Amino acid sequence: MSFAAAPVATPQRARTFTAVVAAAAVGAAAAGAVALAHGAARDQTTTLAAVTLLAALSFVGSGLVAWRRRPEVWTGALMVAAGFCMLAGSLANFDSAVPFTIGLVVAPVGAAVICHLVLSFPDGRLHSGLERVVVAGAYFVTVPLQVVMLMFMGFEHVTGCPCPSNLLFVRDDMALHGAIMSTQRILGIVLAVAAGAIVLRRWQRASEPSRRALAPILLTGGVTILLLLGTLLAAQGSTRSWATVSAAERVATALVPLAYLLGLFRARLGRVAVSDLVMELDQAPEPGRLRDSLARALHDPSLELAYWVPESEAYVGIDGGPVEPVASGGRMVTMLERHGRRVAALVHDPALAEDPALLNAVSAAAGLALENERLLAELRAQLEQLRESRARIVEAGDTERRRLERNLHDGAQQRLVSLALALGLAESKVEQEPDTAVTLLQAAREELTLALSELRELARGIHPAVLTERGLTYALTGLAERAPVEVALDVNLDRRPPPAIEAAAYYVVAEALANVAKYAQATTATVSITMEHERLRVEVGDDGIGGADASAGSGLRGLDDRVQAVGGSLRVISRPGEGTQILAELPLRS
Amino acid sequence: MTTSNGSDDPAEGVERLRVVVADDSVLLREGIKRILEEGGFEVVGQCGTAADLMLKVRSYEPDLAIVDIRMPPTHSDEGLRAAQEIRERHPGTAVLVLSQYVESGYALELLADSAEGIGYLLKDRVSDVKDFTAAARRVASGGTALDPEVVSRLVGRRKGTDPLDDLSPREREVLGLMAEGRSNQGIAERLVITDRAVEKHITSIFGKLNLPAAPADHRRVLAVLAYLQD
Repeated sequence: MSFAAAPVATPQRARTFTAVVAAAAVGAAAAGAVALAHGAARDQTTTLAAVTLLAALSFVGSGLVAWRRRPEVWTGALMVAAGFCMLAGSLANFDSAVPFTIGLVVAPVGAAVICHLVLSFPDGRLHSGLERVVVAGAYFVTVPLQVVMLMFMGFEHVTGCPCPSNLLFVRDDMALHGAIMSTQRILGIVLAVAAGAIVLRRWQRASEPSRRALAPILLTGGVTILLLLGTLLAAQGSTRSWATVSAAERVATALVPLAYLLGLFRARLGRVAVSDLVMELDQAPEPGRLRDSLARALHDPSLELAYWVPESEAYVGIDGGPVEPVASGGRMVTMLERHGRRVAALVHDPALAEDPALLNAVSAAAGLALENERLLAELRAQLEQLRESRARIVEAGDTERRRLERNLHDGAQQRLVSLALALGLAESKVEQEPDTAVTLLQAAREELTLALSELRELARGIHPAVLTERGLTYALTGLAERAPVEVALDVNLDRRPPPAIEAAAYYVVAEALANVAKYAQATTATVSITMEHERLRVEVGDDGIGGADASAGSGLRGLDDRVQAVGGSLRVISRPGEGTQILAELPLRS
Repeated sequence: MTTSNGSDDPAEGVERLRVVVADDSVLLREGIKRILEEGGFEVVGQCGTAADLMLKVRSYEPDLAIVDIRMPPTHSDEGLRAAQEIRERHPGTAVLVLSQYVESGYALELLADSAEGIGYLLKDRVSDVKDFTAAARRVASGGTALDPEVVSRLVGRRKGTDPLDDLSPREREVLGLMAEGRSNQGIAERLVITDRAVEKHITSIFGKLNLPAAPADHRRVLAVLAYLQD
C-alpha cells in the first residue's frame, strides 16, 4: 500500500480539498437538476435520471469518505471519479452543444471506472495481468473508441432526439460508426464477462474475513457488471427489454456507494466488539481462550497468537513450544507491544489490515491482557523465590547452630572436662606426690591453652570482633593470613560501609576463600574490594580448576541468599580450567 | 626508661619494676597481680576502665602498664587507644597490651612508629608464669614482646617463592623469636642453644634476607616485621 495517491498531505489542505470537491459535485448536480426540470432526459425516464443524479452524489460522497479514511488507497478517488462521470452524463440533457458533447464523451467512462473500482477493491490495486487487461480494455472501449465513434456520428439521423450538434462530428459515416459501435458492444460483452468471472473467482477464493471486507463492493459491483452485460446484450433486442435492464443497471449502480458505506458502518459496529473483548479479557482467560476471544473479535478464525519470551528472546505458542510468526502464505503479522516492549505477535488474514482501527483496538486490549498475565506470572515467580530464599536462610541458621553445638561439645567442653579431671587429681596428689601433681598441672595448662585456642577460632568463625572494631581491611587481612593459599589483598575503602554490608562482604570473602581451600586446587587467590558511589564491589578470584556451580553447592547458594537479603547481587564465573571468580555487588544506600 | 627503685633484696639482682594493671575483670587483675608480685614486680595500682588507667599512670608514673584491649564503656578497643595515649604522653611508661584474640592489624598499629617498650600478648600467655614475667620485664626495660601467634601468622602469610625458604628450619625459629622481641639470651634459653649459636643464626638470617643489622632488640623487631609485612 505504497501509492502516493493523495496530492495533499496536511489535514488542513485535505479539508479544503474535500470541501472544493464536494462543492463542485453539488453544483454539478444542481445544474443537472435544472436541466431535468426544463426538459425530459434523453433516453431514460425523469425518475431514473433523478436517481442517477442522486447516485452520482452518493458516489462522490462515499468516495470522499473512503479517500479521507485511507488516502493511500485509490478506491476513494475512483468512486469520486465515477460520481463525476455520472454527473457529466446529466450534462447531455442540456440543449447546448458543449455540455451535450462533454456528456456524451464522459458519461460512458463511468462504467469503466466502476469496473476498475470493483476489480481493484479493497486495496485499490490490480493484481493480476488479466485484471489489468480487463480494466485497460474497459478504458479503451469507453474513451478512444467512444471519441472515434462520435467523430462519425451526427445526431440528425437519430429519431426522437431533438439534440444539439455533436462537436466532435467530423463527417457522416454510418458504416464506420456502426462498426465501431459493434466493436464497442462486443468488447464490452467480453470484458463484462471477464470482469464477472474475476469477481466470482475472488469471492470463491476469499477467506472469511476477506469476504467480510469484500462483500459490499463485490456483491453490488458484481451485480452491476452483470446488468451492464445484460444491457449490452439487450441492445440487440427490443427497446422495452433494453429499457428494463438498463433501469435495473442504473439502480444497481446507485447501490454501490451505499453498500460501501454500509460496510464501513458494519466495521464500526465491529469495533464495539472490542469493549466486549476487554471485559472478556478482564476475566483473565487461559491462553487458549485468549486466542479464541481475539479470533472472535476480529472475525478471523485462523488467527494465531504467539507470545514473546524476553529471557530466551523467542516466540512461543499457546502450548509453550517454539513458534516463528512469519508473514508467509499471504498472512500478515501484527506485533503487540506495551510501553514499547514486545509482548506477542498476531498472525492473521491480511484482510484485517483493511480496518486498521479495529486491529489496533484489539491489539491494545490483547496487549493489556497479556501484560497483566505476564506481570502476574512474574510476581508469583518472585514470591516463590523469596519464600525459598527465606527457608534456606532459616535452615542455614539452624545448621550453623547445630555445627556450633557440636564443635563446643566435642572440642572446648571436652577439654574443660578433662581439665577438671586433671585439676581434681592434682588436688588429691599435691601433698603426697607433689611431682605427679606438678605434671598433672602442666598437662592441665596445656589442655587449657588448646581449649582457649579452639574457642578463639570458634568465636572468630561466629563473628570476628575485629570486623566490628576496625572494619573490613583488618578482618580480611586476618582471613588472608589464615588461608592455605597465597592471597593478594586489595582493599580500597574511603569510609566504612554500614555494618550489614560489611558483614555480608566479609562472609562473601570468607566463604569464597573456604571454597578455594576446599575445591579449587589453586595456588593463589585475589581479593579486591572497591567502593563506588552507590555500591561496594567484592571480587574473589583464584587460579584453580574452576567449574564451580552456584546452583549445586549449598555454600554458594547460601551466600547468594545472604547477598540478596541485603539487596545485592552475586555472580559466579567459573569455566572449567580457568579458575573461579566470585563477584558480589552490595548497595551502599538503602 | 628503667627506673631502679632499689629492691628489698639486692642479692636477687632484680629491679623492682612498678606496674599498673588495667582489666575490667577483677579476678584476672588479682591473678596478674599475684603472678607479677611472684616475679618481683610491684603492682602500684589497679583499675577497670581506660579513664581510670590514665589517671593512675599520671599519678604513679609506673615503669609498665598492663592493659586489656577491651574495657568499658564500649568494650571494643579502649585499651588500645589508651596504650597509644600513654606512649605519647608518658614515654617513660612501657605498655603491654593483653587481648583475648590477636590480630596482626592491631600489632602493626601498636608498633607503627616504634617497637620500643611495647608488647602485645594473648591473655592465655598469662598462664605461663615464667614466660609472662620475662616478657613483662623485657617490655618494661624498653624491649618488645609480640605474641608468637601473631608472628606465626605474619611469617606463615608468605607463600610462594620466598627468600624465607632459604632459611633453615632453625633459622626460621630464630627469626620468629626475634620478631617476638626476645633478646639473644632469651632466644638461646628458649631453643636451648648457646648464645654464640644464636648470634651466628641471626647473622646468617640478616644476610640471607638482606636486612640491615640493628643494634637494639626493638629495632631488630621493627626490621623483621617490616620485612615480613611486605
